[in-house]
Amino acid sequence: MNQTPVVQFQHAMKRIGKRTIVNDLSFDIQAGEVFGFLGPNGAGKTTTIRMMVGLIKISQGDILIKGHSISKDFNKAIRNVGAIVENPDLYKYLTGYQNLKHYARMVPGVTKARIEEIVGIVGLRDRIHDKVKTYSLGMRQRLGIAQALLHRPSLLILDEPTNGLDPAGIHELRNYLKRLAHEESVAVFVSSHLLSEMELMCDRVGVLQNGKLVRIQSIQDFVHDGGSSLVCVTVESSQVEQAKRLIATLKKEILPIRQPGQLLIPLNKDEIPTVNKLLMQAGIQIYSIQVQEQTLEDKFLELTEERK
Amino acid sequence: MIGLVANESMKIYSRKLTWILLLLLFAITIGSSILGTINNTNATDWRAETTQLVHQYEDRLKITELSPTLRTDAENKLKIAKYRLENDFPAPSNNPWSALLTFSGLIEMVIVFAIVIAADIVAGEYTAGTMKLLLIRPHNRAKILFSKYIAVSLFAIVMLALLAVCGYATNALFYGLGDIHTTDLFLNQQGQVVQLNVLMQGIKMYGLSLFPIMSYVTLAFAISTVLRNSALAIGISLFIMIVGNSMIEATAKMEWLKYLPFANSDMSLYIFHLPARPEMTLNFSITVLLVYIVALILLSWNVFKKRDVSI
Ligand SMILES: Nc1ncnc2c1ncn2[C@@H]1O[C@H](COP(=O)(O)OP(=O)(O)O)[C@@H](O)[C@H]1O
Ligand SMILES: [Mg+2]
Repeated sequence: MNQTPVVQFQHAMKRIGKRTIVNDLSFDIQAGEVFGFLGPNGAGKTTTIRMMVGLIKISQGDILIKGHSISKDFNKAIRNVGAIVENPDLYKYLTGYQNLKHYARMVPGVTKARIEEIVGIVGLRDRIHDKVKTYSLGMRQRLGIAQALLHRPSLLILDEPTNGLDPAGIHELRNYLKRLAHEESVAVFVSSHLLSEMELMCDRVGVLQNGKLVRIQSIQDFVHDGGSSLVCVTVESSQVEQAKRLIATLKKEILPIRQPGQLLIPLNKDEIPTVNKLLMQAGIQIYSIQVQEQTLEDKFLELTEERK
Repeated sequence: MIGLVANESMKIYSRKLTWILLLLLFAITIGSSILGTINNTNATDWRAETTQLVHQYEDRLKITELSPTLRTDAENKLKIAKYRLENDFPAPSNNPWSALLTFSGLIEMVIVFAIVIAADIVAGEYTAGTMKLLLIRPHNRAKILFSKYIAVSLFAIVMLALLAVCGYATNALFYGLGDIHTTDLFLNQQGQVVQLNVLMQGIKMYGLSLFPIMSYVTLAFAISTVLRNSALAIGISLFIMIVGNSMIEATAKMEWLKYLPFANSDMSLYIFHLPARPEMTLNFSITVLLVYIVALILLSWNVFKKRDVSI
């Protein structure tokens, strides 16, 4: 199953005024994978999604969906996309059903039976004929997903879909998205600022930081190795400054110290002996070297926040 | 495209505001029709009454500071009254068709209500955030925009039809159904007295009023699209409408004003032979209005197709 990717980012960039909000994104998303687009608030996730669906122009580069350029061949490209952008903003004065009918009319081939089916899938059967203004945020999110899936898109884009869902709802969504991707070969693009949710949902993650893609890898690699782990070296307190200078010569950064005598250094495991040897040869007394297993959350924070 | 217009219409008619406006339209039309019938008594001796009218108009024409429009109006009425007496042609007895011609002022109400809906149809989607989901469908933006324009135009036409039907029905309760062959005297474009079918004149007047209605609908729609703010779109459109109505007099004095939409947007002026300037004709007014309509549509479309949608 190695066809053309469902989404191809080709050096896509967005500039607003003088500010570059999204910078030079180039990566592919394949059919059948759940792709997590991670980044703290303001990283440019929503802006990227707006470019993917043609709501804003791409300043430079292009984005192809099933081989069609979203900027030059909008209708062909967008036909394959279902999306929620930012909030699931639907017509509050219409009923849930009227909302779906509205979007169904806009794409050829969506039958009444399909509307009924999707209502069942998102579990809104009891309330579908009520006005949307009476819905909870979670129900709006479900209706949002329903409108995105009506026309059986090859690419489903969800912007922070877990907002407003309770844990049970998140669990359900996760399973549904996985099934959609793995059984129906839909490419699912989910953005989030919460890594813990992505971990269980995604096959691959890309981390966006200040508009730049700083890392992209499979979730297993992301969790298990990849990058450095944090090494805590405890030395004689009086020798800390000297140790720091030595480590600086290896071009390693040192994180702020939490306790006297402790040095926190992000290192690959195979670099530990080098550091050990260097310190020993300089006559620094080492009390302990510990490798701190990073949680995903730590890793994410390290990746994003410390680059600011 | 039909699906898109159906969608926009569904959205218009699902809103409470729309139904409040329609109810108001009903109430005001029926109310003013009833008031109209109360003021209208059937003539017992038409010759005596017409003679009296002739004196009344002649007196009015003696007032030197009479505004040009009122003067023309009095002259016209005098001409017709004299013609009646000379040719033994009484005014038709009370009938719903003639009554419909007299409350043409209610068309202004249709304009105001149409402005309210047109002002919200684009801006409202930005405010509610629904524009995003609307635009990510396989339709280009021109189609989305024009489906909205068509839906709001249809709504204005529905209101105009309701006004006519409702006004006719109320008057028919008082005067009977009326004879569709009823004729009356009017002045043609050359100022000659002619005998015309009242129903046809009514159709002409209500039909022609579509041009001014569409001008204001297009204006509100364009402001709504460009500024994305419905309150501002209503405010500016109504302001222009009010200022515009008071410009008809000024147009008599300043020629260039005739190229602005204002003096061109009251079609009843032509039915009753009261053009703002003598050289202005019905075709001239229609042309001016169409030019403004096309310009405003082009403006809306240009802004809409290029805009980055980030709300
Ligand atoms: N229309 C705009 N004009 C100027 N700046 C914008 C605009 N839209 C977004 N931004 C800025 O771009 C950055 C990224 O925003 P966004 O894509 O919404 O981030 P995220 O969805 O990752 O939280 C933010 O700093 C935001 O202030
Ligand atoms: Mg966002």
